[in-house]
Amino acid sequence: MKLVNKHVDKHGAGHVTLRPEDDEDMWHLYNLIQKGDSVRATAIRRVQKTSNTGSIDSQRIRLNLTIEVNRVEFSSYAAPSTSSGGDPSGEAGSSSANSSTASLHISGRVISENQHVKLGAFHTLDIETDRDVRIEKADGWDSVALARVEEAIVPGRGAEVGAVVCGEGTAAFCLLSEHMTLVTGRISVSIPRKAAASGTSQHEKALTKFYGTIFDGFMRHIPYSNVGLKAIVIASPGWVKDSVYDHLIQEAGRRGDKVLQKSLKEKGVKVHISSPHVHSLVEVLQSPQIVSQLKETKFAREGIALDKFHKMLSIDELRAWYGPKHVVLAADRGAIGTLLISDELFRASDPETRKKYVALVEAVQQKGGEVVIFSSMHESGQQLNQLSGIAAILTFPLDIEVVEAEEKEAEEERKRAEEAEAE
Amino acid sequence: MSRHRDVRNINLEDELDDDALSDGGEEEMTAEQQLQMNDAFERIRDTLGEEGLSEIPDSEIKDAIWYYHFDIEQSLDWCLHEQEKRRAAKLRQAAREREKAQKRMEAAASRTASPIPKGKKGPKTPVRSGTATPLRGLDQRALDLSALNLTEKEEKPQVPEEPPKVSFAREKLLEEAKKALDAEGSNNKKTVSLVVIGHVDAGKSTLMGRLLYELGRLDEKTRVANERGSTKVGKSSFSWAWSLDGTTEERERGITMDIALQSMTTPHRHITILDAPGHKDFIPNMISGAAQADCALLVVDASTGEFEAGFNRGGQTREHIVLVRSLGVSQVIIAVNKLDQVNWDKDRYDEIVDFIRPFLTQSGFQSSKTKFVPVSAMQGINLTTRGDDASKELRSWYEGPSLVDYLDQLEPPTRDIYAPLRIPISNVFKGQGAGVAVSGRLCGGVVQVGDRLSVLPGDESAVVKTIELEEESVQWAAAGSNVTIYLTSIDPVHLNIGSVLCYPSEPVPLATIFTARIIVFDIQVPITSGTSVELFHHSRDVSATIASLIATLDRTTGEIVKKKPRVLTKGSSAEVQIVLRTTSMSGPSVVRPVPLEPFSANKDMGRILLRRGGETIGAGIVLEIFG
Repeated sequence: MKLVNKHVDKHGAGHVTLRPEDDEDMWHLYNLIQKGDSVRATAIRRVQKTSNTGSIDSQRIRLNLTIEVNRVEFSSYAAPSTSSGGDPSGEAGSSSANSSTASLHISGRVISENQHVKLGAFHTLDIETDRDVRIEKADGWDSVALARVEEAIVPGRGAEVGAVVCGEGTAAFCLLSEHMTLVTGRISVSIPRKAAASGTSQHEKALTKFYGTIFDGFMRHIPYSNVGLKAIVIASPGWVKDSVYDHLIQEAGRRGDKVLQKSLKEKGVKVHISSPHVHSLVEVLQSPQIVSQLKETKFAREGIALDKFHKMLSIDELRAWYGPKHVVLAADRGAIGTLLISDELFRASDPETRKKYVALVEAVQQKGGEVVIFSSMHESGQQLNQLSGIAAILTFPLDIEVVEAEEKEAEEERKRAEEAEAE
Repeated sequence: MSRHRDVRNINLEDELDDDALSDGGEEEMTAEQQLQMNDAFERIRDTLGEEGLSEIPDSEIKDAIWYYHFDIEQSLDWCLHEQEKRRAAKLRQAAREREKAQKRMEAAASRTASPIPKGKKGPKTPVRSGTATPLRGLDQRALDLSALNLTEKEEKPQVPEEPPKVSFAREKLLEEAKKALDAEGSNNKKTVSLVVIGHVDAGKSTLMGRLLYELGRLDEKTRVANERGSTKVGKSSFSWAWSLDGTTEERERGITMDIALQSMTTPHRHITILDAPGHKDFIPNMISGAAQADCALLVVDASTGEFEAGFNRGGQTREHIVLVRSLGVSQVIIAVNKLDQVNWDKDRYDEIVDFIRPFLTQSGFQSSKTKFVPVSAMQGINLTTRGDDASKELRSWYEGPSLVDYLDQLEPPTRDIYAPLRIPISNVFKGQGAGVAVSGRLCGGVVQVGDRLSVLPGDESAVVKTIELEEESVQWAAAGSNVTIYLTSIDPVHLNIGSVLCYPSEPVPLATIFTARIIVFDIQVPITSGTSVELFHHSRDVSATIASLIATLDRTTGEIVKKKPRVLTKGSSAEVQIVLRTTSMSGPSVVRPVPLEPFSANKDMGRILLRRGGETIGAGIVLEIFG
């Protein structure tokens, strides 16, 4: 993403203009734009004019519209753009020339006057790559939002990893970037079990076919020739990964695909995982081969933090807390060493909720704690979401029941004080 | 011999003649000829039809065969011709003259018998006498026919394959199934299925391979081939295992990777064997096998250090024990293997038994249903017998039953044949000819040929063409049997491993959200709400989330100890809500439901296992399905 213009005063009022460049930028925008914000972007709208004689003239016009956001929709794969409401604006097309697959739709009322569009008319903005978007926050820019902008505009950021998570008969092709995991393709081939004595070939035939399908899927879904791709991970339980890797190499050799051969040899990593499901990607990111290569990338950091939390939960339950209420209590006591929080919480439609979490993050940072904001487009973020979206590793043990009792007492005391005041 | 006796019985005069001519110089058929004769006779009989229906009595056929030197085609030709002739004659005669005709026919029969005495000089030099001349022309024709390669079989009208018909009404079928099951105890062999479990390299496949050989299920030829093959690649110790480890990869690595299905017979039992893989990466396959079993055979390696490695944390012995117990297996036989490597040390055997026994009790096995037996799979000692020299050392201190004796005592569990039909598919493959074959175990109900079954999840149905049980085609099968079913009128792509077959009128519930009562195993990281797990149910495994912890329960009484606990630690029992996870991270959420049933409705369909990061974290039963 490119920062085109930024004008934010110390109170947070102002606007930021950004130019998205790829899928991940769409994800950033999705996390930045909230209900109530005003967004200005180019749009194509069909405009109807009725002439004096009564004939109707319809025209498509490209124009800049500013809308007050009512709803934001993000989808990580190219779906035919579904136009919403009565405004047929969709035909502008969802996919631009490059390989962008994510799309972002922002709908709301038009709030700036325009010679073609009436004030208050509904419009759905279809955000495209390389088109500027100006965002103005309703409640001003908070620290989390600004941090997000900073993060988004770092050039050449992020290591991309292509991964094939496979088991016998199943495979998922995944692309990992800084903030997103995209499952670009899945394969499911039914493989007959080995039969006693006779019919062994059925099993093997199906396996060969399966490897062939994986090869085709690999060619289609993994941009192996891309320089940005840091590693190609082939992960599976058992020995499927070896067979798949060998088959890929062999097939590349047979077809004389030098580029594929080279990239497989240089970037190929075989990782053992315990189950053929996509959520085993967490295991991939924790494996030593990958950690050494991808240290300091965001998703590796997230994986490590989540792992630490789980470990702490098993070692000392009193130092691993989760759930919004409990974490806030821990923050009040200045106990939080590492705060794990999902970006989903900041996307809350209720601005009050967002403010609460922003305040929490700021408080933790002020006290010297570390804050890891998880991307819910990653597997680790998904798991954190399941765990209420917020968790904390404390610097010293705190007993939840004691804390809750304390809170209750404080509550009662305050009530008593209020009553006393009233009297 | 018998040929002659037959002849005598039928044709008295002829016999007299015969005697007069032969002076007791009658030659006997050799055993080989006897065999040939029987074979030929049966084939001709098949073509002609029953004795009563065809005009030709058995004896005549045999004579003809003898005459034509066991040439089936020629004999048959003659028989057919004769048959035609006789039938024609029969028609021509009026009813009153029937007896006369009969007489004449007898005369004809005597004519046919006459070649026999001529053949006395030996079957290789038959003398074609005048009596045989009418057949001569025929003979020639038959030769021509055979030159044209028109065999008898092709002449038979082809019976078009009819769609299989439902042979019984359901009530009647249930009745019959019940009767058959009751009768099973009294005279027939009871059927049980047995899963073979244990740590990797404990010798499960080897033991099974050897056992199959000892019981005559594995022929000498295959054994020799396996021995040669395994020696060739320098893995002669795997030679027994090769009879179960069929794929090239398994043989290369010397490790079982998937369930192998075999069957064997002991004096009183018919046993379906599921040889499970021991390696921890293939536990999903092992679960799929164990879910189809009634009993378990645990193989432990007695050699120094190996037993400990398998039994301690990280070994599969413990995990397998708790897994099979959680899947409803209540009988277990423990085969202490490789005792020959510790010189049949009794102390070592006792040590191992003392080690395992408390753990089994703790896992919920009754001590009366656990049996220990010392064996050596490689040497085949104490599998069936221990009479030979090699097992002298064992005999000195062990007097109990052998492994097969124990297997012979396995009790089959009660089968619920009145429950709705449920068949979780554990394998899908191409059958012979058209159609697709699925195999699995009936978890309730009865299925018969001709039934239309739904395949869930999905919207497809199929018709049962044939049912195969213990390698025999049967008309119906009842709960508890491991069957192979050939289905028609369905595209094989709709049949997946893990789907469930059931009657369209009694569909199995599909679940994405349900509550379950679970027991937490020995885990390091406690379970929190939101823990990602893999849910195992029969042959299906899906990713799921423990969405909320409803309550912790007392393990023995089942009373609620604490509501809404924060975490579940090892050894606890709890009620939890499980939600299946979507397959995509954003966009429309697609959740493929799994066929499940509450434990109260069907025990086999209501058991689940939870795994995380390659270890089993809990087992449980389904309480209620919310959708």
